[in-house]
Amino acid sequence: MLAISQLYKTYRQASEPSLSGLTIDFPGNIIAGLLGPNGAGKTTTISILCGLVKADSGSVKVLGYDIAEDKEEIKKRIGVVPQSIALYPTLTVTENLEYIGKLYGLTNAAIRQKTGRYLHLFGLEKSAHKAIRHFSGGMKRRANIIAALLHEPRLLILDEPTAGVDVQSRNMILQFLKEYHGQGHSILYTSHLLEEAQQLCNEIAIIDHGKLVVKGNPAELMEKNQCSSLEQVFLHLTGYTVRD
Amino acid sequence: MRKIIATLINEFRLFRKDLAGVALLFLMPLVLTIIMALIQDAPFREYQDIRFDVLWVNKDNGRLAEKMKDGLMSIPQFRLVSSYENKPLDEIKARELVQSGTFKIAIIVPEGITAEVVNSANQVANDMGKRLGAAGKLPERETRSANLEIYFDPVTKQAMKLSLLNALDKQLTKVQAEMIMGRLSDRMNSAGGDSSPSPEFDLQQKMQAVSIKEFSADRQSKVNLNTNSVQHNVPAWAIFGLFFIIIPIAGNTIREREEGSLMRIRLIPGSYFSILFGRLSFYVLLGVAQFYGMLLAGWAILPKLGLPHLYMGQAPLTLLVTAMVIAITATAYGVCIGALFQTPNQALPFGAISIVILSAIGGIWVPVEILPAGLQQLAKVSPLHWALDAINTIFLRNGGLPAVWTNLAILLGFSAVFVTIAGLVESGRQQ
Repeated sequence: MLAISQLYKTYRQASEPSLSGLTIDFPGNIIAGLLGPNGAGKTTTISILCGLVKADSGSVKVLGYDIAEDKEEIKKRIGVVPQSIALYPTLTVTENLEYIGKLYGLTNAAIRQKTGRYLHLFGLEKSAHKAIRHFSGGMKRRANIIAALLHEPRLLILDEPTAGVDVQSRNMILQFLKEYHGQGHSILYTSHLLEEAQQLCNEIAIIDHGKLVVKGNPAELMEKNQCSSLEQVFLHLTGYTVRD
Repeated sequence: MRKIIATLINEFRLFRKDLAGVALLFLMPLVLTIIMALIQDAPFREYQDIRFDVLWVNKDNGRLAEKMKDGLMSIPQFRLVSSYENKPLDEIKARELVQSGTFKIAIIVPEGITAEVVNSANQVANDMGKRLGAAGKLPERETRSANLEIYFDPVTKQAMKLSLLNALDKQLTKVQAEMIMGRLSDRMNSAGGDSSPSPEFDLQQKMQAVSIKEFSADRQSKVNLNTNSVQHNVPAWAIFGLFFIIIPIAGNTIREREEGSLMRIRLIPGSYFSILFGRLSFYVLLGVAQFYGMLLAGWAILPKLGLPHLYMGQAPLTLLVTAMVIAITATAYGVCIGALFQTPNQALPFGAISIVILSAIGGIWVPVEILPAGLQQLAKVSPLHWALDAINTIFLRNGGLPAVWTNLAILLGFSAVFVTIAGLVESGRQQ
């Protein structure tokens, strides 16, 4: 699914590197969790995987395609749910999805069919013609996920998809992700909610200071570090110091 | 192509959601254009068909004053006023009316000025007669200084003063020449020769043997048009209004970046260029529609307010191409402003004020021709100057595409620079 090797990135005007030789391999069709404290390099890693940011050096392969050579092929096969609500707030959810669907080259019929299906699935069909700016936080998060699903990506990348949402919305999102994975799709997921990651992910990589700290499945990691929860493993490996 | 059309529709939807913004974008420049054309009508007419009331106080009552009066009354721009509130004007009252600003100009013809011109004419006639060997002599005395007194309201513009002084000088010269010719004729007559003018000898006609007549430099033109308030203000403020399209463009660009919708678009496979092209196309079409709306106001609304209607030249296709190129430049500038600044609070004041500055130096407020030489050179750095010059070439010089292609190339050059800056800033922001 994903192979990252010796990835380096220092932003212009930044005093410290964001990634310092990050190497992670997530093979097969899995739900992978990319965890780390603030400033660990999670968003930079995702931005490089999506082709939004260029790495200084290193190699990245997504679904077998090299990001340096086949960026467009990767973009066709991945769906990205960014941390921010990347939708037009003054447009309705239907208008947003229609535009995104057309940019992905979907036919009008396909857009209508998928929009109807996902709006129903995520409980937004009654708000189909309501402007995004009038949505609650949970509704916005759900609409944000639908926008990444219209072209049925093989790999769904989610950057903190449940941040700031109510319990019901979070439950709906997590249920959907499990079902989507069950349909043969891969998922890469970042979150600060470690309990959620523990429930959802087959494989977890904890990164800090732009490097891999540890990787494995949640049960193995807890056993290896003699911890009762993933949160304890996380604190044990990344420390108790508050990060900015 | 599908992406371009989808983006055009999306931009239209986004635009439609802000109906107040749409109304302001169209209505405010329209109101501005109409008001500026009305306000600037008088200053423009000052040099053309406006009539000046000129106070006329004749203390001389001789031939010079009468001839000058006849001469000035024959000039359409002047209306001589000899009485005020049913009372004949005197020197003190005339000066008082000018000083108070009630009238702009007063001419006082002093007592004895005709005698002075006659004396001067006699001197010339005697001198010429002597050279020609004629006997006798007309009465003459030493020359005394005599001045036609002119008073201007202190707020009178220099151009208006010069215009009046030139007209007076011309009349004075003409009257003096006529009197000299008359005295010379008398002198030769008194010497015994038959030098009296023949009945068909018309001095006025002889003195106008060579005159001035204005022609259009464009001999093929069907229309010979001078600029006026409408011809200057409508295209000038239409261009100004069109450039204000940078406000929604820059605002939307920054908001998209802040809200994340720009990121969504950049995650989509395929060239971002087609999406950018679709977006810019929408604003170019919007700008062209706005521009033609302003021209329509000049053509249809302003005549109803007592102003001349806008003449739009003889090259409608060239006008359309020019409007599109101006809209492309304005749109590119908006994209550049949107890229350069981080927040709407930074971009919008800068964008608006920069348009005001570029319009001021570009000849939108007042024609570049009357700016100081240094500012005329500075005008060349303003895209609004090249835009207005192109429109003036089409409207006033009846120019077609060959006449404006340099302007269009320069405007497209500006556009390329703006888009390049935006591209460099955006790519730098991602690194």
